[in-house]
Amino acid sequence: MSAKVNKAFTKEEELLLQDFSRNVSTKSSALFYGNAFIVSAIPIWLFWRVHALEVSSSLAWFGVVTAACTWLLALAYRNTKFQLKHRVAVAREDAVAREMARKLADDKKMSRKEKDERILWKKNEVADYEATTFSIFYNNALFLAIVILSSFYLLRSFTPTVNYIVSLTTASGLLALLSTGTK
Amino acid sequence: MVTKYIIALFALCSISGALAQSCQNPQVEAASFTSLDATVVTQIAYITEFTLKCDNPLPENYALYAEVEGRPLTAARIGENKYQVSWTEELSAARSGVHEVRVLDEEGWASLRRARRADPSATVAPLLAVQLSHPGSYSGPWVNSEVLATVLSILIAYTALRNKSKILA
Repeated sequence: MSAKVNKAFTKEEELLLQDFSRNVSTKSSALFYGNAFIVSAIPIWLFWRVHALEVSSSLAWFGVVTAACTWLLALAYRNTKFQLKHRVAVAREDAVAREMARKLADDKKMSRKEKDERILWKKNEVADYEATTFSIFYNNALFLAIVILSSFYLLRSFTPTVNYIVSLTTASGLLALLSTGTK
Repeated sequence: MVTKYIIALFALCSISGALAQSCQNPQVEAASFTSLDATVVTQIAYITEFTLKCDNPLPENYALYAEVEGRPLTAARIGENKYQVSWTEELSAARSGVHEVRVLDEEGWASLRRARRADPSATVAPLLAVQLSHPGSYSGPWVNSEVLATVLSILIAYTALRNKSKILA
């Protein structure tokens, strides 16, 4: 049945669907998970060198917390990107349309429909790229700020291990939670 | 027999003490050290070493005393006409600038103590004065690195939040 429905979609509709879907491409997903992993692993250095956390006895915790944070941060990236993408698309619509129109103006052979499709595709690409990068920046900035604030001030009296676990899970959990909000 | 020798020794000592002349026309060459890094110490050490040159030959056990800002000290003899004066101060009490080490010989020291008995703020002209300059010690950066890290990260997070609300507005 779904195949039948899919057939009914035109190319333009599919593009629109892709534009509105929460799913991300494999490339984008890899970018999210790679970034989330790096950002979740960075605090290991902070806790090892600055908070004097014993590395050899905390390897298991490092693995568990880094994995959990990676997952939560990737979730936050995805949700934030979804929130931002349409706004970015709306903001960049005119500029992208103008530029594409200028680019395609010489091409007399291209039909009006094809041109519109190209513009839509380009708009989607630009919005996707900008939303992806901004989402990564936004979540990284907040994550590291929360980790630094909580590890140095809020949880300074706790042992480094507790400090590490609580700081990182709180920061990533908070970001994942906030990203699910509508505003 | 032994008692006789001891008496003779005492007599010799007292004669030599009486004959000990104070240093004429003292000339001094001084080197000094003070602790500069207060991050790893609890007290600041001041050390000055000086070589004393006099016109007249000095006896072997010529003792010197020193006074620094009202604190009495003994100069340690560390070599031929070479002396060392050292003391420590709490970090909070240590001040930067020039500290004057007023060096006195036995005679001057005795007269200073006599004068002090009558008037606690009395001073006696010292045999020589060594200027020890302490440039101040380093007690860590003005801004701690964690404060700096927190401020920077909050600034970046603020930029991110502002930009996000601008996009969503």
